[in-house]
Amino acid sequence: MQWIIRFFVSHRNISSLLAVSIISLWMVSSSQMQQQHVARLLTITIFYPFQFYFNQTTRVKNIFAENRRLKEQIASLSVKVAQLTETTRENERLTDLLGISRQFSFTLVPARVVARDPSYVSRSAIVNVGAADGILPYMPVMTSVGVAGKVVQVMNRMSLVQLLIDPANRTSVMIGRTREVGILETTNGSDFYIMFRAHADVGVGDTLVTSGLGGIYPKGLLAGTVTKLEENRDPIFKKAFVKPEADFDRMEEVFVIKMSPQWAAFKEEIDSLEAPK
Amino acid sequence: MIKETATWLVAFAVTLILQTSFVPVISIAGIKPDLLLVALFFFSIRYGVMPGIFVGFFLGLGQDLYSPSLLGQNAFAATVTGALTGLFNERMMRTDPLIKAVLLLVAFIVHDALFLIVQVIRLGDPVSAIFSGLVLHTLPRAIYSIAFASLWYVWDVMVKPLARK
Repeated sequence: MQWIIRFFVSHRNISSLLAVSIISLWMVSSSQMQQQHVARLLTITIFYPFQFYFNQTTRVKNIFAENRRLKEQIASLSVKVAQLTETTRENERLTDLLGISRQFSFTLVPARVVARDPSYVSRSAIVNVGAADGILPYMPVMTSVGVAGKVVQVMNRMSLVQLLIDPANRTSVMIGRTREVGILETTNGSDFYIMFRAHADVGVGDTLVTSGLGGIYPKGLLAGTVTKLEENRDPIFKKAFVKPEADFDRMEEVFVIKMSPQWAAFKEEIDSLEAPK
Repeated sequence: MIKETATWLVAFAVTLILQTSFVPVISIAGIKPDLLLVALFFFSIRYGVMPGIFVGFFLGLGQDLYSPSLLGQNAFAATVTGALTGLFNERMMRTDPLIKAVLLLVAFIVHDALFLIVQVIRLGDPVSAIFSGLVLHTLPRAIYSIAFASLWYVWDVMVKPLARK
């Protein structure tokens, strides 16, 4: 054994050349799969440390770039947040000034008209929703285009709706353009009119919406359009003729607005005032 | 010693980078100089057989890793070339530039001959492929490489002493 080691030491150049050549030729003679395996192993062993440090450097570089980008984004968003906060405050101030309720929403209960008053001019209608559906007296009723009337009597599964065409039904409305308030009324169920003061700014074609002052209808429901003005017959008032938006002759589906009248909270006091002493 | 080793390591790394990036750009009709073989040649004649064997092996292996199907072929050829050029160690004999150029040409022929012999045995190509390869491929490549190596010589023998002065 010793003579082998001594031979290798004394002929180290030849021995090294032989050893390295044998390794090289072993790699040449090995199968393609083995070659790929060895190449992969060598590549990983030799290049992995360099690749690792290169990746780390790239990562740090990316982190710096990302950090710079995020800082710019934060600065931009801070400006936007400040602007939005200011806008929100301004909106709150203006809303308070205008007295607009921030939450104006109500539920609509769809109903089908199941019966009409058999009189010559049908002044009321019966719909297929009632107390079981949460319907209460004085809830407003509208068609898909505008105000139709109000619930006056409630049964379990049905309700009686007093339509606008009933001369006893008078509705507080206002001109959408000028906010002039008046009472929409009728005497025969077909001609609707409003008596305005003579100097009121009302014109033909003006749209009428509910004023919300009558206590039953919410503000802003479409009621009709001014079709004609009669100004010269009375020095104090002028008469504006109105065409209602709802088509009362062809009314099949309506919506009950599920809201209590604004005076419901004072109902007991009102009843006690009206009760005979 | 450490400084010298580091210098050579950097030189080999730069040569490897140049071989894979710069050399393909300056190829003429598909003939490219082999800077790695030139670097191995200068290393071996300076440090002798043993360093020539190992550096040749690892440089050849590095080239083989680019195409795993040739694994061992370049390593074997570069190992033997490194060993042979190491025999003409500068410390033991003085060689002028012309002899170095001839030795470099021989180194190229030995390297490519070994590479082609292994390839012929492995793939069963005709023996004439060795000769045609040497004539058509090795000689132009060797001449192009020697031209490049002379730039190194110009730098080492002419420019560097002037810069020192």
